[in-house]
Amino acid sequence: MKSKKMWLSLMLVLVVAIMSACGSSGDGRSSSSNTAENTATTDDGQPKDGGSIIIAVQDDPKVMNPIYAGDRVTLTIDQSLYAPLFNVNDGKKTYVLAESDSFSDDHLTYTLKLKDGLKWHDGQPLTADDIVFTMDSILDEKQHSSSRSQYVFDGKPVKVTKVDDLTVEFKLPEVSAAFEGALVSFSPVPKHIFEGEADIEKSDKNNNPIGSGPFKFKEYRPGEYVTLERFDDYFAGKAHLDSVTYRVAKDPNAANLALQNGEIQMRMVDTQDYNKLNDTGKFNMLTYPEGRLQYMVFNLNVPSMQKKEVRQAIAYALDKNELITASYSSADFAEPAPSILTPDTLYQTDDVEKYDYNVEKAKQLLADAGVSNLKLRLAYTNTNKPQTSQALYIQQKLKDVGIEVELLPMDGTAYGNRTLDMNNTDFELSFGGYIMGYEPDAYKSLFLSDAAYNYSHYKNADFDKLWNEAAVQIDETKRGDLYKQIQQTVANEMTVYPIAYTKAVVAVDNTYGGVEDANPKPVVMLEDLSKIYKK
Amino acid sequence: MNNYIVRRIAQAIPLLFVISIVSFTLIKLAPGDPVLSFVTPNMGAEDVERIRQNLGLDQPMYVQYVVWLKNVLSGDLGYSLVNHRPVAEMIVERLPATFGLMGASLLLSLLISIPLSMIAGSRQNSLFDRGLSLISYIGISIPSFWFGMMLIYFFAVELHWLPSMGMRTVGMDSAWDIIKHGILPCTVLTFMNVSVYMRYIRSNTISQLEEDYVQIQYAYGATKGTVLLRHVLKNVLLPVITILGMSLPELIAGAFITESVFSWPGMGSLGISAVHGLDYPIIMGITMMSSVLLVVGNLVADILYGVVDPRIKTTG
Repeated sequence: MKSKKMWLSLMLVLVVAIMSACGSSGDGRSSSSNTAENTATTDDGQPKDGGSIIIAVQDDPKVMNPIYAGDRVTLTIDQSLYAPLFNVNDGKKTYVLAESDSFSDDHLTYTLKLKDGLKWHDGQPLTADDIVFTMDSILDEKQHSSSRSQYVFDGKPVKVTKVDDLTVEFKLPEVSAAFEGALVSFSPVPKHIFEGEADIEKSDKNNNPIGSGPFKFKEYRPGEYVTLERFDDYFAGKAHLDSVTYRVAKDPNAANLALQNGEIQMRMVDTQDYNKLNDTGKFNMLTYPEGRLQYMVFNLNVPSMQKKEVRQAIAYALDKNELITASYSSADFAEPAPSILTPDTLYQTDDVEKYDYNVEKAKQLLADAGVSNLKLRLAYTNTNKPQTSQALYIQQKLKDVGIEVELLPMDGTAYGNRTLDMNNTDFELSFGGYIMGYEPDAYKSLFLSDAAYNYSHYKNADFDKLWNEAAVQIDETKRGDLYKQIQQTVANEMTVYPIAYTKAVVAVDNTYGGVEDANPKPVVMLEDLSKIYKK
Repeated sequence: MNNYIVRRIAQAIPLLFVISIVSFTLIKLAPGDPVLSFVTPNMGAEDVERIRQNLGLDQPMYVQYVVWLKNVLSGDLGYSLVNHRPVAEMIVERLPATFGLMGASLLLSLLISIPLSMIAGSRQNSLFDRGLSLISYIGISIPSFWFGMMLIYFFAVELHWLPSMGMRTVGMDSAWDIIKHGILPCTVLTFMNVSVYMRYIRSNTISQLEEDYVQIQYAYGATKGTVLLRHVLKNVLLPVITILGMSLPELIAGAFITESVFSWPGMGSLGISAVHGLDYPIIMGITMMSSVLLVVGNLVADILYGVVDPRIKTTG
């Protein structure tokens, strides 16, 4: 996940995380297992119990507490340690801790019922009190949770109250179609552990986390690994594996060797390494959409980019399929993107202007705009291989329509700082990537006129109005229409050129089964590790 | 002698002070904002500001420095911005891994480089000497990460003799297991060190052998072996001590890369993560600790110098 710059990617990942959910079941996912999935079971056809798996992660986890988790590693570990209220995959909701949820008619009261008999890893019951405590902690400014603003609407926080032991009520200060989407990233923490803690973020109790997921915390050795063991009282049934270990493997090349050596059994790999690992015949190579868009952005701060025709001309001058082959070696790892919303996002549509490759049209548009001898600067992260290939391709291709492109490869951090500068005029073109989850409202921080991540600096009050209306529109058809208009506006105005919906590749040692049931998922690899078993 | 030590320590204090100011300034001037590393696009601007205030990052740089310095002087290295754990605790838990690896490789380096390079020096231009020189050049030239990767490939993946990464097998806690995990990273560090030390010791041996006192020993009928062991060795050890003192920072830097390649859970791994996250309390903690080590290392080197060669006065 290296795109804009390291931290940017990270924070986008976060968001993802936060929005999590991005579905990945079903279409688009392929698995080139060398052995048929789910075949190796015990004689009676049931998956075997026992055994363990070692999963490589790039770094140590941060604070092992879901009200602070934002980075890929912590989110991945939390996935097994803390159960969410529910998941959403491809628009379908699967309840986890929650049994049901509903909105009142005025859409201001949201009622959530928990399943009966839920337990924390220390055996204490998980009840409505924990949900209320967690939400209050997130909203408490003194606890500096990064998720707080998701539950604050127009300066007013959501109010949460306990109705009975298994029911909580959320009172929204105003209608928000995005509220339920925000809850996808909500995993409760135990009240009986953290109650009275002045600074939860710095609490020692985070070093011995008590969660509610299928695996409970066993051991953390900083710089080495985190081991979780099976939680026998998990409400949704015991996991097959006895334990799961997340092992820190800093160097990607060394981690690939350790994978081949059998010291680790699962890892998210770079697409460039796909063939090398696949050829060994030892791995089930899960390839699934990452819910991520890779794009090029036009910087409207620079006068030459302010003419719509010029931006459209550039779009026509590029052959998206060629661009993808050049940067991802194969369309297997990235599909051409027409819209700024990824396919797993609600209301995503392909019904937008697609700018099929057309050099003549590009030249015509430039002539119409009265532009000639255009010189542009294209900035990207120097360590990002796909971006480097894309930059070279674009430089080459734009030459055909008389546009000269100067390449500006930059250090990730410097690149991130420049792109976030609202007055940046250092370059006309740049690359980025985001994973924002299934709720389209999350994307507005990249597009509203005054949004901090509005990299194109496109300012249009009518366009802002569409986003804001869509956020509070409860009628699904009307909401869908609004998001369609939003996608079409970006395509017509060509402020962002969507390149590809990229895929993630996870190599799993093929001595493990149940991988498809575990549901491959962006950012965290597998949604439910309890389904994995040792063949 | 005691006065000398006290004076040297007194000299070191302003030095450490300057190092801290320079490091702090450099970290702060580095591009990037630590807060942005944990900010997400759907966090409001007030949330970001709140986090910035909470971490004290909204203060001017000199205020941040003074706060940091005050805390350090009262024995508090602060909290990691990213992990929210006490820096001192995080560094201390990494020390055994780093010191174990560095200590083992240092000892091995000396045990290997001293005899080999003395023999090479005493047989200048022989096949043995040339062979060692070649190996030494290779050791200096090849990058440690590449060498590490090659070792992993051959000894872990192809031969399955040794583990490729980490400090222990998950859930295991035996000394032998840790030693097995340490062999490859230790080999990399040792090879790098030996290559450097050998060049110094060899050339020093050659120059010692040309000294009058050696010729006199020969005239008395001493054998080459006796001369080397009884007389030259002592004089060769002197520069080795200096080199050791001076090479501490290199050792630490080398360990950074090697630890990263082998996922060895030492300070190097911690340092690299901290640099990525612009986690300045940790970077400062590691920098200051390395600086103290360097100062102490040089002090010990000087004292040892005096012990090995009493002609060098350490009293003045």
